[in-house]
Amino acid sequence: MTAAFREERLVEYVRDQRWFGARSSELTGASLVDQAVLRERPPLLDALVELRYGSGAHDLYQLILDGAGADVPGASEAGPEVVRLVRAAARVPTADGEAAFEPFGDGLTGLPLERSRPLGAEQSNSSVVVDESALVKVYRRIEAGENPELETSRFLALHGFESMPALHGWWSYAGAPLAATLGIVQEFLPDGADGWTLALDELAARPGAFLERVPRLGEVVGAMHAALASDGGDPAFAAEEVTGESLALAAASMDDEIASVFLHLPDDEAVAPIAGHGEAVRDLLRDLTAIGSLARRIRNHGDLHLGQVLWARGDWLVIDFEGEPARSLPERRNKHSPLRDVAGMLRSFAYAAQVTGAPRDAEERARTAFLESYTTAVQGTGLLASPEVTERLLRLFELEKAVYELRYELSHRPDWVPVPVAGIVRLLEEAS
Amino acid sequence: MTQTIARQTAHDAAAATEAGRQWFETDPLWFKRAVFYEIHIRGFADGNDDGSGDFRGLAEKLDYLQWLGIDCVWLLPMYPSPLRDGGYDISDFFSIHPDYGTIDDFRTFVDAAHARGIRVVADLVINHTSSDHPWFQESRSDRRSPKRDWYVWSDTDDRYRDARIIFLDTEVSNWTWDPVAGQYYWHRFFSHQPDLNYDNPEVQQAMLDVLRFWLDLGLDGFRLDAVPYLFEREGTSCENLPETHAYLKRIRAEIDAAYPDRVLLAEANQWPSDVVHYFGDGDECHMAFQFPVMPRLFLAIRREDANPVVDIIEQTPPIPDGAQWGLFLRNHDELTLEMVSEEERDYMWSQYATDPRMKLNLGIRRRLAPLLDNGRDEIELMTAILFSLPGSPVLYYGDEIGMGDNIYLGDRDGVRTPMQWTGDRNGGFSRADFARLYLPPLMDPVYGYQAVNVEAQLRTPTSLLRWVHRFVALRQAHPVFSLGTYEPLRPENARVLAHVRRYEDEVALCVHNLSRSAQPVELDLSRFAGMVPEELFGETLFPRIGELPYLLTFGPRGFYWFRLRGDV
Repeated sequence: MTAAFREERLVEYVRDQRWFGARSSELTGASLVDQAVLRERPPLLDALVELRYGSGAHDLYQLILDGAGADVPGASEAGPEVVRLVRAAARVPTADGEAAFEPFGDGLTGLPLERSRPLGAEQSNSSVVVDESALVKVYRRIEAGENPELETSRFLALHGFESMPALHGWWSYAGAPLAATLGIVQEFLPDGADGWTLALDELAARPGAFLERVPRLGEVVGAMHAALASDGGDPAFAAEEVTGESLALAAASMDDEIASVFLHLPDDEAVAPIAGHGEAVRDLLRDLTAIGSLARRIRNHGDLHLGQVLWARGDWLVIDFEGEPARSLPERRNKHSPLRDVAGMLRSFAYAAQVTGAPRDAEERARTAFLESYTTAVQGTGLLASPEVTERLLRLFELEKAVYELRYELSHRPDWVPVPVAGIVRLLEEAS
Repeated sequence: MTQTIARQTAHDAAAATEAGRQWFETDPLWFKRAVFYEIHIRGFADGNDDGSGDFRGLAEKLDYLQWLGIDCVWLLPMYPSPLRDGGYDISDFFSIHPDYGTIDDFRTFVDAAHARGIRVVADLVINHTSSDHPWFQESRSDRRSPKRDWYVWSDTDDRYRDARIIFLDTEVSNWTWDPVAGQYYWHRFFSHQPDLNYDNPEVQQAMLDVLRFWLDLGLDGFRLDAVPYLFEREGTSCENLPETHAYLKRIRAEIDAAYPDRVLLAEANQWPSDVVHYFGDGDECHMAFQFPVMPRLFLAIRREDANPVVDIIEQTPPIPDGAQWGLFLRNHDELTLEMVSEEERDYMWSQYATDPRMKLNLGIRRRLAPLLDNGRDEIELMTAILFSLPGSPVLYYGDEIGMGDNIYLGDRDGVRTPMQWTGDRNGGFSRADFARLYLPPLMDPVYGYQAVNVEAQLRTPTSLLRWVHRFVALRQAHPVFSLGTYEPLRPENARVLAHVRRYEDEVALCVHNLSRSAQPVELDLSRFAGMVPEELFGETLFPRIGELPYLLTFGPRGFYWFRLRGDV
């Protein structure tokens, strides 16, 4: 069975989709690379489509097509079919290869497959909620190799980390064009509230309620890092020592970034507290990097902040191990110091405190509580060097993030500029 | 269950590699936007402390290369070789020189480079082999040997007399008598490098097998060494023959069919009007080196005259859309003066080769920094000009820190000394005993590793290395420099080299003062009237362009790169 492939219509359609990442490029054509039949009647097809740009470049995208060759909005109809196929551990032959559906655990047993709806509000993928209990995530831009989200959540599940939505399965394609993960099926948590929303609700109004939850958050993030560092036998996850040269390279990049941001600092009241202090920030960087080593680096979450943790079932869960979708897949699989994740969360506290106008000490208390429980959770893993080095590295990564935020907010959200400015001032004050 | 999953994962990964598709295949024209970095593996980093650089050492330095911002590594020959010509004398096309490691080490390195977004191309000599190659040994052994016709044999040494001798310093003829074979064999380079006979279909097929072997291992392409000389025909120079182009088209068709985003880079040290034929109609090589530009850049800065550069680019015919020039200031060979006039050559020798030891064949065997008397302004100016011209620039390892050379070492070894990583023993290149090093690192007070090394320059914000890093990033941020058209401005003050590059909506204006003294220049920019030049490094806005000549003043060897903005 081959659906009519309507190139022109698809090009028009794709151009307007949220998940289409290359919006600035001129889309000139589309062609079908291969497709797997998800359902015979009425036809539903899982298609790999090559999109071509004016520059000569091209990308591979996953589209769910109906019998008329039109994309199914939000991929919603695919949800129950994917669950059915995963449950059956199906192998679907295609023209140039096969689509393989893999169950993981038995979380999908007994689902009636009666209801499905698009989750909505997503950037780079399409997710479908099935029976309000399973989430089918359809990756849109397809790159060769295993998706880090699947790789990481499966690794964590197999290494005893349970503070995340359960992984139920995945499906992938292997054939002449490439081998790649197409999507995953995981537990859906209808009553989960993400950490950012929770912080906005509580941090100003009931700071105590939020602060009570923070120690557990530190514990969960610590347990995640401990699990990620726990298997020296798996080269994709084994912890690595960091060389002095890589620290020097990172420092040189940060130094250039600081110099460049301060060179172009606007004449604006919001940046007044740091205006003219570029050299002091560079001195601080030099001081923070004079430590000889970055200790060890591991696979980490890659994009950890309050929006990436969920309060559900009375506990914290970490979600979305995909890393930054704008970066290439191999880049997202790189190892980093776990303290970069930690710094991400600390900066997220700063944002939440600033946005909500929380009491002065709320951010401070959240930081302290988070770090204490995190440090305890990773004890004995060898992930952290001495407390002095850890403190320096944390400040180093916070500085890196704050400078990045400053550049981002200056060009995208001028109202938020005071948040990174306050962060940089704080780091300068701590140093003097 | 765990085991099943682990197997499945391994299977997926293997399938992905075998299928040969990787992340970057989303852009077949990547090479048009790339900055290349040329590496002598032996001299880069020693991973096993035996005194010679290798793939393990190279892999350890990928963080550095990624930081530097380059897009593609070009490796000098890595194959087994008796090393009588720096590895360009290959004795086995299907293996790695034991000093550099194994095929597995190679593969690990290529995968690790890809994981960082860096591509890898390698030198391949298809014109000839080493006389040690089993093919040649078999060929010479017997007139009835099935390999006899794989090389070019003759009973006399007077055929193809119109072919020039390239290695003038060492060779007296392109024919050498082989007492074992009882015949003369043909060689365009050293006498230990017999030319393969491309009139033999078996040779053509064998070389395609070589290409496929490395492409299947993940290599992103080849720099095809000595490509004009594949065929011989009586009464011709035996260079750039139609048969040679036909064979290159065959290689290209193979690559397009099975390896769509790999690249062929022709080394053809010829005049631009001859070199362009190596692009074919977009159906031969993707890239070719723009050789004649390079000596003229050095001529221009010494004579303080932009004309040699402007003229040679003007004489360069247009190239197909999917093709790109490769540009360089210095490489692993001598600065070749074959493509300049005799008068210019004498001038270059008098200016740049004050010691006769600095000369080699028709060239000068020195590195970038010593050629420019270690002048920081001069190095920056030359790099800026290189990066502003149409083509993809190639950096030679060590030039980003201003490494020197050692003219007391033989042949071209003087520009192939160990990379200087730190001020520690052996410059951080190797932990082997000094005496075991393949060549001594530089130790003189000006260019030695204690004065010039990566570690110190990383720490120093104003260092050449940090400047090159920023400059590579700047060029990459503006596709106009890789993809844009080129329009020379020819101002009245010939000491100033000025041109406009345009791509889509972006207009770049690059103006360089070649003089060692301060200079003014008036540019006719009336067609850009109303636009505002924004200096790219500091993003400073300059006065708006009007109908009158636009005045700029420069310090000695100064330059400006502007983006012309219509929106301010």
